[in-house]
Amino acid sequence: MTQPARSPADEPAGRPSPLRSCAAILQDTWLAFLDARILWLLVAAIAVLFGVALSARVEPLPSGRPYLDLAARALSADMAGIDLTRDSLAEVAGRLDGSLSWIVAAEPLPADAADGPATAWSVTLARNVVPVVGRLATSDEIAARFGQIPDGRLWTIREIRETTSRMAAATGSQTWELTVDPGPDLRILWPHRFSLFGDSLELSRPEGAPLGLEVFILQKLLSNGIGGTILLLVSVVVTAAFVPTMIRKGTLELLLVRPLPRWQLIVFTYAAALLFVAGLLGLLIFATWLVTGLLTGLWSPGILLALPTLLLFFAMLLSVSVFTGIVTRSAVAAMLVTITTWGVLFVVGLMHMQVVASRMREENAGKPRPVSVADALRPRAASPSGRPRGSAAERTPFHTTTVARIVEAIYAVLPHTEDLDTMVDRQLMRDFAVGGRLRQLMESPDFQWARGVGLAVAHAAAFLVAACAVFTRRDP
Amino acid sequence: MPTMHHVVSTRELEKHYGPLRALGGVSLDVERASVFGLLGQNGAGKTTLIKILLGMLAPTSGSAHLLGLPVGSVEARRDVGYLPEDHRLPEYHTGPSLLDVYGGLQGLPRQERQRRAAELLDRLGLAGREKLRIRGYSKGMKQRLGLAQALLHRPSVLFLDEPTDGVDPVGRKQIRDLLLAERARGVTIFINSHLLGEVEQLCDRVAILRKGQLAIVGTVAEVVGAKTTWLVAFDRPLTADHRWSSAQLAPAGSSGLWRLQLAAATGIDRFLEEARGHGLHLRHLEQERGTLEEIYLQLADAGGPSS
Repeated sequence: MTQPARSPADEPAGRPSPLRSCAAILQDTWLAFLDARILWLLVAAIAVLFGVALSARVEPLPSGRPYLDLAARALSADMAGIDLTRDSLAEVAGRLDGSLSWIVAAEPLPADAADGPATAWSVTLARNVVPVVGRLATSDEIAARFGQIPDGRLWTIREIRETTSRMAAATGSQTWELTVDPGPDLRILWPHRFSLFGDSLELSRPEGAPLGLEVFILQKLLSNGIGGTILLLVSVVVTAAFVPTMIRKGTLELLLVRPLPRWQLIVFTYAAALLFVAGLLGLLIFATWLVTGLLTGLWSPGILLALPTLLLFFAMLLSVSVFTGIVTRSAVAAMLVTITTWGVLFVVGLMHMQVVASRMREENAGKPRPVSVADALRPRAASPSGRPRGSAAERTPFHTTTVARIVEAIYAVLPHTEDLDTMVDRQLMRDFAVGGRLRQLMESPDFQWARGVGLAVAHAAAFLVAACAVFTRRDP
Repeated sequence: MPTMHHVVSTRELEKHYGPLRALGGVSLDVERASVFGLLGQNGAGKTTLIKILLGMLAPTSGSAHLLGLPVGSVEARRDVGYLPEDHRLPEYHTGPSLLDVYGGLQGLPRQERQRRAAELLDRLGLAGREKLRIRGYSKGMKQRLGLAQALLHRPSVLFLDEPTDGVDPVGRKQIRDLLLAERARGVTIFINSHLLGEVEQLCDRVAILRKGQLAIVGTVAEVVGAKTTWLVAFDRPLTADHRWSSAQLAPAGSSGLWRLQLAAATGIDRFLEEARGHGLHLRHLEQERGTLEEIYLQLADAGGPSS
């Protein structure tokens, strides 16, 4: 065969490259993205949501004395190495050192200072030792242990002066005058009230809730709950139209004539859509971080790590949308199938959680319920039946039913969105998880991040490869 | 085999859709720097042929080369511009942004595609509309922009499906001039069109496709040449004594005009000599050419509508 019959016309000025093609599709997708009116509605809705959040007031409730009392009580046992969420009460009891400590008097420093998480205190501490069992403590030991609880460091000692008389010491009684400063974890555990629109709408209980828990709930609500769900839903709607619009008759031919392999059109469009949704999610998460930081003064970076997990979840949905869009050529079908997939994943994940909870109830039957020292301070409503919830005699444990087995079989092959959700929770709470309940979530036994990420990536890749295969083989 | 001169070359190209034979053994060569017109009824296989040449469809059998390269390869598409029929440009773009995207896909550097876009928009009468989204374009404007995207990367070969569809007469003239300028630059142009007059004006060679097969291929003159006749009138009436060996004459109306069909391999000079031999002087002599439309309709009548 002879050489190509090139014309004397000017040589084309450039050479196609994947980078240039990708940039061009990025530009095209960006304009398509901006053209979607629903996107601007979304931005407006999220702005309103954050406006409402900014109207919130988060104020500490007076709790200095209870937290000093807690620190004093904790001196009665050596809690180092004790995990209240796992260790039994017998194990905890074994750490008791045969003493009883309490706060005799406590005054804020200065005396007119408000009772808050940043206030220092002047404290009179008393300690009685049980004869034979206990022994007298040194000032250094008290300084090292006062304020240290399994949930974190409540107080640090600035000054300590023992005021025990010789006679009192002989009877096993000791007293100290302490000047204590707030410890690094005090603020997160300190009860705060939370209200919206100034003081108009009270959202917390009268006794308040730990600041860390409030920040976690607010961040989860804004970035992963209302904000994230609305954003991802709108993103599904907007991106569902990308591929069907690209492959409609009359438009597709204008792309197929370009000197690039067909699969690149699909993969680059997918990547471009993912990039723009990442930008939107990034803005949402940054705004959440900013709002919660401004409201509470806690600038936790944990929330920023939630972005990749949320994006991974969307990447999975987007691959379903792209595949459906190519097979059906319909934006409506792509949208409906994707939202249905989301719904199925949610329901199966929810049911699987019930299976896990049922199994854990059976495994933990008879064991003491894990409790946090901080939680123990707050009053707890009695169970109506007088028996702890969860230990009620189940008719048939759910995890042994046929439905549960089917759920587990389906869950085994589907992407584990529950794992992804747990990952987001962990990332959100990583800086606040000093409290017992939050730490329990952090240590959920059924969570494997590698399984969660691996299955999500595998499903996204499988749908994308299938989409490319169908698109490459099909006549326009 | 494709040669240096053939930009498009097909041999026994067939395309079947199940039991339907869309193309049945098409062998075609299109020379470099020429304008080639492909005619045929709807469903005759024109678009199928173009899509095979552009690598969008795989042929069932036969071979096809574009610019000397097997069709279907990415490299073969590098130097090609295409304006599909009934194209739908993404409406969220402006003219310049669309050309920027397509230029990027062709691999043009940013500065080059911006320069070419501005130049083409100006040449095609779209200057001053740079900020208008395509959804606000008229059909003619969309057609011009479609042509601009096909020309953007200075391709060596252009495939144009109904390039002047929806364009007003002034715009059509602009497009014709532009295409002729491209041909002068050495570009090969492959046109599908139903506007036979336009094809006649533009094309060096034409082919008529009927039911997936080439019914006729040749220069415009060759295709219409078979129909060449003359109208003549003499200074006095003809009688039965006037015998003609060089032509056949038949009355053409009642105004003394005769339709003259030259005998095969006979020129008009031979007839003029014979007339002078009869002592006749010509009062009127006019060449009566056939048109592409007549040929097209004649072939269509012969074949009937294709499926």
